[in-house]
Amino acid sequence: MKMPKRIKFRKQQRGTLKGRATRGNYVAFGDYGLQSLEAHWISARQIEAGRIAAQHFLRRQGKVFIRIFPDKPVSKKPLETRMGKGKADTNFWAACVKPGTVLYEIAGVQETIAKQALARIAHKMPVRCRFVGRRLAV
Amino acid sequence: MKNHQTPKIEVKARERTGSRYCRRLRAQGRLPGVIYGHKREPLAVSIDTKEIMSLLQQGTHVLALTVDGAKKTETCLVKDLQFGYLGDTVIHVDFARVDLDEEVHVHVQLSFVGTPASAQKAGAILSHDLSDLEVICRVSHIPEEIKVDLERMKDRTLLTVGELMLPEDVRAASDPGTPVAHVSFVHREEAVTEEVEVAPATTEPEVITEAKSDEQKKKAGT
Repeated sequence: MKMPKRIKFRKQQRGTLKGRATRGNYVAFGDYGLQSLEAHWISARQIEAGRIAAQHFLRRQGKVFIRIFPDKPVSKKPLETRMGKGKADTNFWAACVKPGTVLYEIAGVQETIAKQALARIAHKMPVRCRFVGRRLAV
Repeated sequence: MKNHQTPKIEVKARERTGSRYCRRLRAQGRLPGVIYGHKREPLAVSIDTKEIMSLLQQGTHVLALTVDGAKKTETCLVKDLQFGYLGDTVIHVDFARVDLDEEVHVHVQLSFVGTPASAQKAGAILSHDLSDLEVICRVSHIPEEIKVDLERMKDRTLLTVGELMLPEDVRAASDPGTPVAHVSFVHREEAVTEEVEVAPATTEPEVITEAKSDEQKKKAGT
């Protein structure tokens, strides 16, 4: 599963996910993409599940690009622990996703196959997603 | 695109500008835009959304604009598009005044045709590195699309910008060595490891600040 190699601080505050994506909101590397329509944390486990679902379906055809990275440590207190005694250890790593973020991209396959592969990824995501193509070039 | 093919389109000058008025225009089926360039005053305009979108989807770059039914048309290049937050709807168009003999830089869509022989081998993946190409040409010679015949790659695994068959009077702005398409191969060993899908053991990432503070403590101790 993906996680940062080096970090500056071991723990982070939870923060809020406000607004829409202003970066990473268009298909940049592949031909087709999967775009998030909601704001959510996507865990490293979910990102990996999506990758596996797509690669199993594609059977070594085409290429899958993962456009999000889980760089936010999320901590969780163990069960049956009293409150206090400091912030708990990191439980999982998550990517902060806003509406409009392109989560995955696929290159080198036909549109129908890309649609099916991205639909399989969408099932693994905790957000509503949609299929997108490249923007008009001027 | 040759001069005689330049599509004519009617635009209306808009007196009121600003996001509120633009939103109202879009609701009425018109797209806000601006015409600028050639050291003349910029002009805020609105265009029929359906008309402009059908032209843009065909790959049109140059338009002859008639402002408020005037007899004289202005030849304009679609310079920039602004998209909505989900990236599918165009919300604003920039037009730059141009002469038909002027040389301009434009991005032209690439259309890939055929499959190279190298991509038909087992484990081969054909990837398109570019979806559009920046070209330098006269306004009257801007192509709607550039066809890339991948069968010309034959057994090679790389096609570069320098090898593209560009139309007459059109040259690429990017480096000739820039890859357009390439074929990569998935090795059997890689494929086996992919199928096993063993999640690597979760290790803690290195905390930079903690390493620094340890060094500082050591220095303070000495």
